[in-house]
This record gives sequence, structure tokens and C-alpha cells, in this order.
Amino acid sequence: MSKAAYHYSFDHEHLLGIDGLHPLDLTHILDLANDYAEATRTGQRADPVLSGKTVVNLFFENSTRTMSSFEIAARRLGADVVSMPVAQSSVKKGETLIDTAMTLNAMKPDVLVVRHSASGGAKLLSRKVDCAVINAGDGTHEHPTQGLLDTLTIRRNKGRIEGLKVVICGDIVHSRVARSTTMALHLLGAEVHLCAPRTLMPSGTETWGAASATSDFDRALQGADVVMMLRLQLERMDGAYLPSRREYFRYFGLTQERLALAKGDAIVMHPGPMNRGIEIESAIADGERSVITEQVEMGVAVREAVLHLLAGGRP
Amino acid sequence: MSLSIFNARLLDPASGLDEIGGILIEDGFITAISLGATGAVGNANEVIDAGGLCLAPGLIDLRVKTGEPGDEQKETLATASRAAVAGGVTSLVVMPDTKPVVDDVALVRYISDRAKVSAKARIYAAGALTVGLEGHAMAEIGMMADAGAVLFTNGDAPISNPSILKRAMTYAASRGAIVMSRPDDSALKGSGVMNAGAFAARKGLAGIPKEAEWIGAARDLMLAEATGCTLILDQVSTPRTLELVADSRARGANVFTTIAAHSLFFNEIDVGDYLTYCKVNPPFRDEETRQAMIAALKAGEIDSVVSAHDPQPPEEKRLPFGEASFGAAGLETTLSALLSLVHDGPLTLLEALAPITSKPADMIGLPEGRLAEGAPADVILFDPNKPWLCEREHLLSRSTNSPFDGRRLQGRVLRTFVGGVQVFER
Repeated sequence: MSKAAYHYSFDHEHLLGIDGLHPLDLTHILDLANDYAEATRTGQRADPVLSGKTVVNLFFENSTRTMSSFEIAARRLGADVVSMPVAQSSVKKGETLIDTAMTLNAMKPDVLVVRHSASGGAKLLSRKVDCAVINAGDGTHEHPTQGLLDTLTIRRNKGRIEGLKVVICGDIVHSRVARSTTMALHLLGAEVHLCAPRTLMPSGTETWGAASATSDFDRALQGADVVMMLRLQLERMDGAYLPSRREYFRYFGLTQERLALAKGDAIVMHPGPMNRGIEIESAIADGERSVITEQVEMGVAVREAVLHLLAGGRP
Repeated sequence: MSLSIFNARLLDPASGLDEIGGILIEDGFITAISLGATGAVGNANEVIDAGGLCLAPGLIDLRVKTGEPGDEQKETLATASRAAVAGGVTSLVVMPDTKPVVDDVALVRYISDRAKVSAKARIYAAGALTVGLEGHAMAEIGMMADAGAVLFTNGDAPISNPSILKRAMTYAASRGAIVMSRPDDSALKGSGVMNAGAFAARKGLAGIPKEAEWIGAARDLMLAEATGCTLILDQVSTPRTLELVADSRARGANVFTTIAAHSLFFNEIDVGDYLTYCKVNPPFRDEETRQAMIAALKAGEIDSVVSAHDPQPPEEKRLPFGEASFGAAGLETTLSALLSLVHDGPLTLLEALAPITSKPADMIGLPEGRLAEGAPADVILFDPNKPWLCEREHLLSRSTNSPFDGRRLQGRVLRTFVGGVQVFER
């Protein structure tokens, strides 16, 4: 375990967003997560720091991958895990977010991992329960563990975050990943450039720490160290925010020719699930510069670190 | 291949030139301009003594409807361009409301390919802003612009949902595309068929109120301000609309306006006894409004005059006024309509020519529309005084639904050149 982990205490009750964290907090989480990643790779068993603790996954939106990632992370640390894909259950019967939270709170869990379609959903929940809350995605607001896992993946591949040119391209306006990742990278000194069709680019991205916002992908790519493509929701295509899939791919799809505009050693990322042939060419997604599967791997490590820090005492 | 035209009254609104002189045309471009009543400029294969006739840039018409593809019985690109060059129009922008609608790259290419083989004038395609002009799904604005579409419009039917229009304008702006919209609130327009007012009431016809234009214009202008999209307000017809435009411009919006040539010539009384050739939208307004629009044109508050050429065959016009189609043929009468304002006093020749040459060229970024070295040699020779009787059986467009039918006009094109090649002579 690196030294930083011993000399800095993570002084947060919840993890609701990257917003509000200090660069030292980030470094602390990333160092610990990196230790967990290395431990897993070398086949070591993690200490059961969450032994006897209960982690509840409360997912109001369907998400197999994020829920599984939290579940695996919690189990590796010895926690008892209950996963509730609420999207199919009582909420459909009219129970509100707060009603569900109060009910669960009465069962005394130690950590609530929550995903909700409303921005601010995790924050609202955190005010009503006595345990730690981890935001696993709230509407179009934040997805902090994604921001952390992206940052860790970049740091492992590039050896640093400071001074890197990172391009994030896609549906920025609806992306909680874009918000969390931009803020995390900015806090650690990267230069983050956001790229989207103007219909999918919100105003004020400089307040997230973005260095620029553009709809000229080719220009944004020049000299990039990292290219992160975001998923385009199918319902946003076909005329609502964009003319068509083929026009999107024409101007914003990551192709081999486009990738050649970035640095020769640039890495390619995607939070998944991908729309192959719409935002990214298959050859790139599966190519040697893609670190997309490493992102998934780091997802578990980051969630182990966050669970540990919030519920497992000082590492 | 070279051509020299001398002893002409050179009229170039872009530079303000109005002097006797000549031009040399080589390989389709103007390569020299000389002033003074001397002989031919340079050594040309062919020399034309203009005999003092006016030599001006060919007209650029930002709003022409044809029936190609789909309604070739109304008008084809070939027949429209034949009428165009007879009226001195050398570049025309054709609207996307055809069958099928020009909402796809392949159709933009179809228009330019068909124009190349059949048209005498330069033809530019306008792309549909939404798929099928239905006002729901954004069309492929970027790819159509790359294929040569010069502007994007929803044609005669404004997009009713402002949220969809806003997104389309936002997207268009980011691809550098220009949006042209008809300021018209369809609910307020309702079933109106002519200008709302005492005359319509007496004739028992449903009126189109000016508020329909104002409310439509206010909405589109505010969205232009919000999105940064370059907007052309298509066929404005009232001074109050221009006040709204001035306000938006003061707030930084990039907005242009056009007016139909016939709206400067006719007023609501010309509808007379239900003359369906005078059924257009926006409708001919009251005389006070018409005079105010002429003054606005002189003051430079209106950027471009269009023919709003809208061919309608007899079966669409030989109907009770309320049931007849909107639309007037106009390609052959735009110049004469403007020259009438010169003869009547309000405009100078250069003021009449600017909104049909250099100004529309600048609006959509065309190199045509000016007498300048290096400019495409699209020029007309016209006699500003020549009297003629407009008779629809002598018009060259396939549909001849002209409100000028039977009117005596003064001033007519005698020769038209596109790319240095003579394409019309009277």
C-alpha cells in the first residue's frame, strides 16, 4: 500500500459526486484502488474489511454492469450484498424514492449504492438514511466511481494525469460520466476538451473544469493523449438531437483516420456499452490502443477502494 | 473563348459603379473592366457593342419552386431556368418541397446533376430542415451542406414545434449552415386566403392577419438569437416584422430578410374580383404597408428581393378563390417589377439591383452577383425603358400563373450570359 494512503484520512460520509472532493481525496482513492487492482491481478485475497457489513445495491435504473461491479467489489471485501434492481419492483407500484429509502434504512445497512434517473436522487437519499451512500449515477448529474475508474485507467497507462490532453466526445449534455470524469481529471491537472454536436453540448462546461467545448472533433483530436468516446443513446439519434446515425458517424465517429490525428500513443476509452459503427469503429474498440476492458477491471478496484474508505475503517 | 462587351452602362451594386464602360470575359470569368465610351476591352474572339444598354450582374433568386422531381407538369428545372434567363435570373435556389422532398444527400446531388444537363442557369439546392418537411426529425443538414445545399428550410410549412426548430437551428449553426424560415403562425393564419382587412371582409374572404407573421417572426428571431444560427426570414411583408428584425440584430442575431417582388408591386385591392393569380402567401397587403416596404427596401432594411416563383397549373388556379392554390410565377417579372419602382421614383437603378444581385450573393456566400475582375461572367444586358405587355401565353415557364398577366411594364432583359455564354437573347 502506498504511503499516501496512510497519511491522509478520507473525511467524507458519502460519495455523491466528484464535485466537492479535494485532489488529495482523489489521489487517496486512486492509490488504494491501484493496490486492490494489483492484488487482484497477482491473485491475492483482499482483507475482509467489510466483514459483517451489509451493502445494498439500490438500482432504480437497469444496469447490469455497474451493479455487478459494485457487487463483486463488496463481496471481495467480505460484505453481505443485497442487490435490488428496483426498476422492476415496488417503485413501479408507486412507492417513492424516499419511501423506499426509509424502508431500507430501517433494515440498517452499512452502505447504500444507489442509481436513480433523477439528478440529485442520491443526494436526496443521503439526507434520509443513516448509512453511507454511494452515487452509482444520478440522472444527468454525476457518476463518481466512473470518473474515478477512468482517471485510474489513464494514470496506469500514462503514468500521470497532470498535463495530459484528454478529449471526451459524444452526448455531453446527457452524460453523467462526462461531468464526473471531466471534474476528476481537471482536479488532477489534465486538460480536458469536450466535443459534441452543439445540440448535445451544454453551456458552462468551463465550470466543470473543461478546457474547451467544440463541435470540431478533428481539431479537438490533435495532439490528444486520451480519447474517450461516450455512448449515444439511440433515442437521441434519428432526428431528435441529431439528423441520423450515419451523419453522426461521419462527423463524430472515431475512425482509424481520425485517431491518427491524436498522438501516436493515444489510448482509447469508452464507458460502455458501445454502439459499434456509430460512435466508434469496431477495429478501434478491439484494437491495441483500446483500454476499454481495463476500464471495467479498474471499475471493480475503484469500488473496492470507495467501499473500504466509507465503511471499512482506515486502510 | 473570350468576349468583350463595350459601350454599356455598367451597373455594379457591390461597388456602386454606374458608368459607361465595358468588360472582358475570358473562360467564363470577368477578367477586365474598363470605363469610358471606348471600344472593346482587350483582344476578344467576340465583341458586342451594347449601344448604351445597361450591363449588370445576373439576378440571384433565393426562392424558386419547381416541380422537379415529382411534379414536372408544373415546372422542371429546365423550364424554370428557361424562364429565369429570360427574366435575367442567372442563379436560382430551388426549394426542397418537391416529391420526394429534398431531405437527403442523394436528392441534393440529383438536383445539381439534373441542373447540369438541363438548366440554362446556375441552380443551387436548398435542403429540407426536417425529414419529409414534416417538422419532426432533423434532416441530414451536415451531409447535405457538404453536398452543396446552400441553405435549409422547411419550405412553406414552418416547423410548429419551437423545440424542434431550436435544435435544428443549433445543429445547423454548428455546421455553418444557414436556415431560412417563413415567419408564419399557422394557427393564426388559419384558413385565411388574403390580407385580413376591410377588403377581405367585403369580399367575404377569410383574412391572414399580420400578427401571424409577427408572431412567427418573433419566435424565429429569438431562436436565432439563442442559437447563433444565421437566419433568413423568408418573404416578410410588413414593416413591423422589420422592427422585430432590427431589435434582434441589435442583440447580435445574424438575420437577413427577403421580400417577394410581387409584394412590392401589388396591394390587396389587386385581388379584385377574386383573381386567383393574386392569391399568394404572404398576401398582398394594404397600400400603406406596400409603400412602407418600398421605403424599407430603399433604406436597406430588406436584404433581398425574391421572385417567390411558385408554378401552379390551371387546375390549381381555376377554382373559387378560397380553394385555389397559393403561389405566383415570378421569374420573368422580378426585374421589371423592381424597375417600376425606379420609374415611379423611389429607387435608383443601383438600389433596385442590389437586393437581386450582390446582397443575396453575400447572404449565402456565392461568388456571383457582381461586376468585378475574377467574378463569374453571369451578366445581363437590359433596356430599363423598354415597354412591354406581360401576357401569360408568352411567358416561358411551364406554369404561367403570373399576377402580372395583362400588365404593361417598362424595362426588359435583352441578353443573358451565364459563365460568359449567351443563354438568352430577345
